[in-house]
Amino acid sequence: MLNRRTFIATGTLALVVASMAKAQEKGTIAIITPSHDNPFFKAEADGAAAKAKELGFEVMVLVHDDDANKQNELFDSAIAAGVKAIILDNAGADASVAAVQKAKDAGIPSFLIDREITATGVAVSQIVSNNYQGAQLGAEEFVKLMGEAGDYAELIGKESDTNAGIRSKGYHDVIDQYPDLKMVASQTANWSQTEAYSVMESMLQANPGIKGVISGNDTMAMGAWAALEAAGRTDVIVVGFDGSNDVRDSILKGGIKATVLQPAYAQAQMAVEQADKFIAGGSTGVEEKQLMDCVLINADNAAKLETFALSA
Amino acid sequence: MKSVSVMLGLVAALALPGCKIVKTAEEGETAAAVAGEAGDDARIAALLDKTYDAELLPLIAAKALPVADLRTALAAGLEAAGAAHGNKGSGEGAAWNFAVKGEGKVVEANLTSRARKAMLDTDGDGAADLTLQLGPVIKGSSLRDVAPFYRFGDFRDQIEFAKLARALNDRASAGLQVPEGELTGKTVSFLGTVDLKASGDPWLVTVVTLSVAP
Repeated sequence: MLNRRTFIATGTLALVVASMAKAQEKGTIAIITPSHDNPFFKAEADGAAAKAKELGFEVMVLVHDDDANKQNELFDSAIAAGVKAIILDNAGADASVAAVQKAKDAGIPSFLIDREITATGVAVSQIVSNNYQGAQLGAEEFVKLMGEAGDYAELIGKESDTNAGIRSKGYHDVIDQYPDLKMVASQTANWSQTEAYSVMESMLQANPGIKGVISGNDTMAMGAWAALEAAGRTDVIVVGFDGSNDVRDSILKGGIKATVLQPAYAQAQMAVEQADKFIAGGSTGVEEKQLMDCVLINADNAAKLETFALSA
Repeated sequence: MKSVSVMLGLVAALALPGCKIVKTAEEGETAAAVAGEAGDDARIAALLDKTYDAELLPLIAAKALPVADLRTALAAGLEAAGAAHGNKGSGEGAAWNFAVKGEGKVVEANLTSRARKAMLDTDGDGAADLTLQLGPVIKGSSLRDVAPFYRFGDFRDQIEFAKLARALNDRASAGLQVPEGELTGKTVSFLGTVDLKASGDPWLVTVVTLSVAP
């Protein structure tokens, strides 16, 4: 364990040294996100990295795996490396405030994407998808597909992620206005595809009359759909959230019915642009908290979706 | 007494999955004193009491363009029409919101849905050219976003801001008098708001006042 830790530390140091040696006058931007296993976070990191390189920065791409302690260590590394800015999709709305403050105290501005933190005036920007608006869009489509009636189940995301709760509230804000729609099961599957598969299996056993499933994200929707397929229940209406290529393909094949696109790639790029402006002139020119609207994706427009961006 | 508390417990348990338990303000505690999400409903209600009749409805009435005029303005482009007559919602990619008024014949109506709708022909060609939302479920946030005085930055987060939109929709919907029976073929006049992300988007109008010709 100690050896492994040392190895990681040395590895990080090597990465830092390498990027610093290569760094031009503009310096390095750290890009810290959850694990790239979820293509959504990979799209964020790719979008930010592409924009940073385009603007002449070096990049340091790190993942915190939704572990606030690990995130804290990554912030230490980034601060020690003297990065010019940090682009962050954080590991917890409360837990991340201290890390972002620590960077600020060290003179390093942070630009948050995707998830809010519970404090303002600590990060320079917080650019988040309007998850509530997006969830309402998904729920409206779900209600329509369900014909305003029937039993349904909800898959909820990871509790530490503020967006899990926001999406669930947005869903219920719409769905609960229809008294003939009855939620018969509701459970977290922690954003995980494999977990959603087993949760869906047991939900289906307990509630064979389920007509629809509304899921807090696309990876869980994929897991649920796989379980439904395995049970021969492809009649069940599934709606996800994120706008991943996997769900796009499922929609085009007539599987999952809809999802909601968060413009992750564009959002990450916007954060880097604001960082660049802030580094150069001390201001982004925009307010700290910024919302980006989400877009409903269904069979009508799914073909235009690629890597969390919708072509015109 | 015991059965009452058992009943209450049962009701609370049944209500759990779909609803959240909102802490009500203590006696003598002002709405503003309840910080955070627990105080949202009271704060939003107070904001509506202060602004809905006094500011929002007058703003919509004053800014409302007749349908044909808004269509003409939109023909020159959404951005230009929006800058001249509309208000943009908070955030990147948000819609332009316009106040609009008009009159037309109901071509088709769905009054069985929880989101009742009437499709209206306002230019006399026999085809529907806009849809009125008649509630009780109202989609979107154009009542909130049409008003420059409701700003995202003034709210704690997107949840509180969304609650404002929902409360405005509920207030508007509660004030509508939709007559019993068939609407198709009747002439109605309305005042409302519409949100557009592209100039060619179909119009889904959130109605604040509605009158149906006898």
